[in-house]
Amino acid sequence: MMRIVVPLRRVLDPAGIVAHRRLRRLFINREEYLIEPADHCALEVALRIKDDLGAEVVAVSGQPEPDDETLQRGLAMGADRAIYLSGEGFENADEAVMARALKAVIERLDGAALVIVGMTTLDTGQGQLGLRLAELLGWPQVTGAWSVEAADGRLEAVRRSGDTYVRVAADLPAVVTVPACALKPRYPDGVRLINVYRGEAGMAESLEEWDAADLLTVEEQAPLFESRGRDFPVERERGTRVEGTAKEAGMAVAEALRQRLRR
Amino acid sequence: MDFTFSPEHKALRRMIRTFAENEIAPIAAEIDREHRVPMEVMRMLGETGLLGICFPQEYGGMGAGEAGYCILMEELGRFCTSTATNVGAHIGIGAMAIHLDGDEEQKRKYLTPLARGEQFAAFGLTESNAGSDAANINTRAVRDGDEWVINGGKIYITNGGYADIITIMAVTDPSRGARGGITAFIVETDWPGFEVAREEDKMGIRGTSTAELVFDDLRVPHENVLGKVGEGFVTFMKSLDMGRLTLGAACLGGAQAALDWSIDWTKTREQFGAQLAQKQSVQWMIADMATEVEALRSLVYRVAWLVDEGQPFTRLAAMCKLYGSEVASRAIDMALQIHGGLGYTRDFPVERAFRDARIAEIFEGTNEIQRIVIASRLFREHGVRISP
Repeated sequence: MMRIVVPLRRVLDPAGIVAHRRLRRLFINREEYLIEPADHCALEVALRIKDDLGAEVVAVSGQPEPDDETLQRGLAMGADRAIYLSGEGFENADEAVMARALKAVIERLDGAALVIVGMTTLDTGQGQLGLRLAELLGWPQVTGAWSVEAADGRLEAVRRSGDTYVRVAADLPAVVTVPACALKPRYPDGVRLINVYRGEAGMAESLEEWDAADLLTVEEQAPLFESRGRDFPVERERGTRVEGTAKEAGMAVAEALRQRLRR
Repeated sequence: MDFTFSPEHKALRRMIRTFAENEIAPIAAEIDREHRVPMEVMRMLGETGLLGICFPQEYGGMGAGEAGYCILMEELGRFCTSTATNVGAHIGIGAMAIHLDGDEEQKRKYLTPLARGEQFAAFGLTESNAGSDAANINTRAVRDGDEWVINGGKIYITNGGYADIITIMAVTDPSRGARGGITAFIVETDWPGFEVAREEDKMGIRGTSTAELVFDDLRVPHENVLGKVGEGFVTFMKSLDMGRLTLGAACLGGAQAALDWSIDWTKTREQFGAQLAQKQSVQWMIADMATEVEALRSLVYRVAWLVDEGQPFTRLAAMCKLYGSEVASRAIDMALQIHGGLGYTRDFPVERAFRDARIAEIFEGTNEIQRIVIASRLFREHGVRISP
């Protein structure tokens, strides 16, 4: 049976955050985490392939605890296995380290036909995970896929190119990245959700914890990314309101743009 | 003492809230305006397993207990009272009667598709002369071999217009009344002799079906007797106890929504050069609403815990319904006052909530009946028997 690996990351729910520009501070009023929206869509793509053809969907997460919620939600949606990568030092893993870890996971799983991953992250806007992983594995990759079909050792995907959509194909195994708005993820199945949290109906065995130290050396766990604190971007120049009829307002805007070009 | 929700209940609430925000909130005003039951939402609720939330997994349910069911009703009540009412009639009284007193075969045949949301249920008690006085029903069932022949009718039946299965109560021995003379039956609505006579046009909960039903020589097989012959009144009262608790949970959601809308509005609206939130008169209203909402929350989830622990809860369930409906009405009334003229328009959900909330003081036993239940139970504990 085809195996599909889906890395699941988590992101702080933006609805619980208030950015206070004057104080240059972020206030976290409610610390709740979502599955990274693009990863959420990636899981849905994987589950649709599973629905159509049958596949084993393996969700993998390696983020700081409490991370179990991300994987439990993945299992409740329909993933067959969930692997939590834990370990001292691994909590600082950036996308380069995570890509190395995923390569090791795939080797330990005895391979996979597909890795489907979110294209970019909601918080930092990074989109390196899929690209780095494809490079490490030496697999073809399709970026920004809106839908994916896989059969007979080939995948076909629809991706956006400029103003239009194009159909592309690649040999399996392959890495596919999916944008956050690609499709609507399904709701968790209620019965699975309860069983996941209670560890019943085989769900306790579906949630595995692997020690990152067994997969990567200390050097391989060293992140490229170094955090030196947070700051706000430069405030954008405020616009001006133009008055008058549509024609007068249009003329005023054109004149303002002309002035700006001359500057 | 532990007042925290379990991780599974937190996850369940998150799932239900996301569902309600995405699928229910956007159509809540529309179904009210169009007087339409949102069947698409009911089907989706079924697909996610939520329509069997408190029933055992062996009968197609989720097995999340009464606390899980209260979470569902609270979250639905926050976004759409009509949807909460549809779901409450389906799970909390219609299917609940089969869950409580159905035999193995009845649970396999009827509870399982109801829990999976493949079929919908209603609960037929009220008649024109028997609402609060529930034992005074006139619908008759007469034994004829292996069947019962039922004649009569029911009014104000929530889900009555579209339900596939209805549990009804009929007189089987007029000489014995509520004590041995009333029997509960499971009725399939496509059987000959079952008719939906009319749909009510209502002030609120306009996204629900409230129907008048007529039974004309409706033949029901004996195996569809729910519980024992003559003990239907007890089955129905037990189901209503469950329904009253979860109606309190739905009212909690409605009251919480009124509080949330009010806080949002008082942050935005400015008068006399300051936010409404800076006015003491408004602060007091918000403080009163929040206090009652928290008191109701404690009551609802404590009673849910009692149910899950298998402890008696009839008196407290009546309190949930009584206090919940009054807290919701008060909170929504205050929210309307805080929103001023805008709250009175159909552009804001407060107006709809105000119309929707009123029914909770009437259905599933009027609040006067709840006071009788509470008082009679209390006095019974002190050796005094009172009759309504």
